[in-house]
Amino acid sequence: MILAAFLRTVAIALLRLAIWIAPHDTHDWGRGMLSELNHVEGNWSALLWAVGGAGVLAKHAMLALILPGSHRRTVSSASELFAKELPMRKATLTATAACIAASLLFFLAPTFRQAFQVSLAQWHDVLHVDQRWRGRGPDPELQALARKAEQNHDAEALAFVAVRTENPSEAARLAEEAVHLDSNLTWVYAIAGPPCPTSAKINSWVPALEQWDPQNALSRLIVAEKLDCDEVMHGLSALRPPEKSAAWKDAMAVAFQSPKLDTYFSRQKELDRRVMLRYKLHNPFQAISDGFGFGFALPSYGIGDSHEYAKLLLASGQALESRGDRKGAFEKYWAVARFGQMMGSSTSELFVQRYLPDAYQRLARLSEAEGNHTEAAFYASLKAQETQATQKALAALRGESRGSDLAHWSAFLVRLSGLVLLVSSGLVLICALGVVIRSRSLRLSALRPSPSSLTVGFAGAIGALLSSAVLYVSYRPYSEILQRFVSKGDEAGLSELSNFLFATQVPLGAHGFLGAFDAVFHFWSIVTLLCVVALCFAVILHFRHRRPSSATVA
Amino acid sequence: MAMKTPRLSPQTLRVLERFIERPTAWRYGYELSRETGLKSGTLYPILMRLAKFSLLETKWVTTEDGVPPRHTYRLTPNGAALARAQQTSSPSAARATARERRPAFNEGKA
Repeated sequence: MILAAFLRTVAIALLRLAIWIAPHDTHDWGRGMLSELNHVEGNWSALLWAVGGAGVLAKHAMLALILPGSHRRTVSSASELFAKELPMRKATLTATAACIAASLLFFLAPTFRQAFQVSLAQWHDVLHVDQRWRGRGPDPELQALARKAEQNHDAEALAFVAVRTENPSEAARLAEEAVHLDSNLTWVYAIAGPPCPTSAKINSWVPALEQWDPQNALSRLIVAEKLDCDEVMHGLSALRPPEKSAAWKDAMAVAFQSPKLDTYFSRQKELDRRVMLRYKLHNPFQAISDGFGFGFALPSYGIGDSHEYAKLLLASGQALESRGDRKGAFEKYWAVARFGQMMGSSTSELFVQRYLPDAYQRLARLSEAEGNHTEAAFYASLKAQETQATQKALAALRGESRGSDLAHWSAFLVRLSGLVLLVSSGLVLICALGVVIRSRSLRLSALRPSPSSLTVGFAGAIGALLSSAVLYVSYRPYSEILQRFVSKGDEAGLSELSNFLFATQVPLGAHGFLGAFDAVFHFWSIVTLLCVVALCFAVILHFRHRRPSSATVA
Repeated sequence: MAMKTPRLSPQTLRVLERFIERPTAWRYGYELSRETGLKSGTLYPILMRLAKFSLLETKWVTTEDGVPPRHTYRLTPNGAALARAQQTSSPSAARATARERRPAFNEGKA
């Protein structure tokens, strides 16, 4: 019984709503369908009757919106028109205002503000297309933090900004100031200097690093990188085959003989956490540095040089072995194995996958040739262990770097809802502006929105509310990962967050154009232009067809 | 000048046929829907098109106290002429529409 009454109520409400949105010349037909509803036998049949009728009226409403001239009003007077529509108009205006207020309320939540910021990241490269050759402008948030840190003599905050500043001279200045205030932060030189440490500063930074952490191979890797960059800068690498200089070989030899390899990523993470907590920073792009969560054992600038030097060592070991110098060959192979061991077996570095097992295999072969079967078996087992461990690490990395489907879907939803929120807000603003201009008054009682303005404004408000909710819900899990990391140092989910943030920076509809930002820019320019043209066309049509009907009404 | 007419789909022909059975009678939407087997989403666009081409006239009638007035429909003289012309010029169409109207369980018994 209750269900029956409910179905009838829904059917009546549906038809009433359809009549309200339908153009005026179809109202009689709508009311006709509504009156017939009293005679339809069966509640489900009544609902189907209403659905069918509402569909017809909705189609006419859409047509009237696109082609306003196809549905002129035929009311006898303006007072009649407003008298008929007043209750529905009031309800819609209230609903529109409530939706807008609810959307604005979302902005009170810091998580939503973060989410909105993340949803805008996709436009960064599109809008900065003309600045890509000049380098991005300074980040105002970082600049403000640097000023605060300098005022407070906060070495950690200065280091935080230094490793994120793209201007090399500014980064160098901040890094030096940080180390000057706290010499325990000397490791910042290893992160703020590279890649391509061509600045004169690096000549003083490397000795400082060596003095502060003499056993670390990192300072020698920086020297090797600097030599590479100098060659590129002077055009030497293009003129001759990639023959490495003696200085480069010396630097790499010292690096391979060093007792430890520390990239300082863990120190940086801890520092980032402390600074973010202290200054209440919420920008996830500032919080997550490249490589966080992936457990890289080598800094990016050290990868190429390490591989090249390992290849050199293995080749020279092979040459020595063929000349019968097994001891010399053993030292070369062992140097490669030691450097690989420093990275740890759980890493997914290509070095560990490729050169370490090769070095173990050669060492096993040499031991076998020496007649030392136990040692040969030991190296063979090391190789097997290493192969197994690196395969596991590699599989994990593949999953992490590709990112889960959930991260991609969430990134898509965040970008889409951000875009819908912008478009919906734009529609609401345009409607509000149109109503104010047409009414020539700002007094609420004097504003008389037309049904089309009201419909578009209401749709915009609903769109803004729904997109705000979707944006909030899609982003919330990632905000929690970030909060857990910042407040407790919990690194679970950081790689997922990294993948999500990376995916949010790709503009919607630009998957095929990654890296070709001109194409992305032009694509969105055309889309925007077409939208503007369509909007102008609709506005012109609307006003052109309004004039005769206004005359009738008056 | 030739009279402008709507596109005469089999469904439109079916509606016209029902009207022409009692050309002077005012018909209700639900009654037509039941007789033609057309859903409201199909029937009303046809009625609206016929009215747009002045082939159909509409009227609100009050039936009994307390019951809202009902919208009723009747063919105009032009509409009736068109319906008759369709019936005579295209008996096959009329037969086709008659077949379409026939309930499925009667098929083969007639």
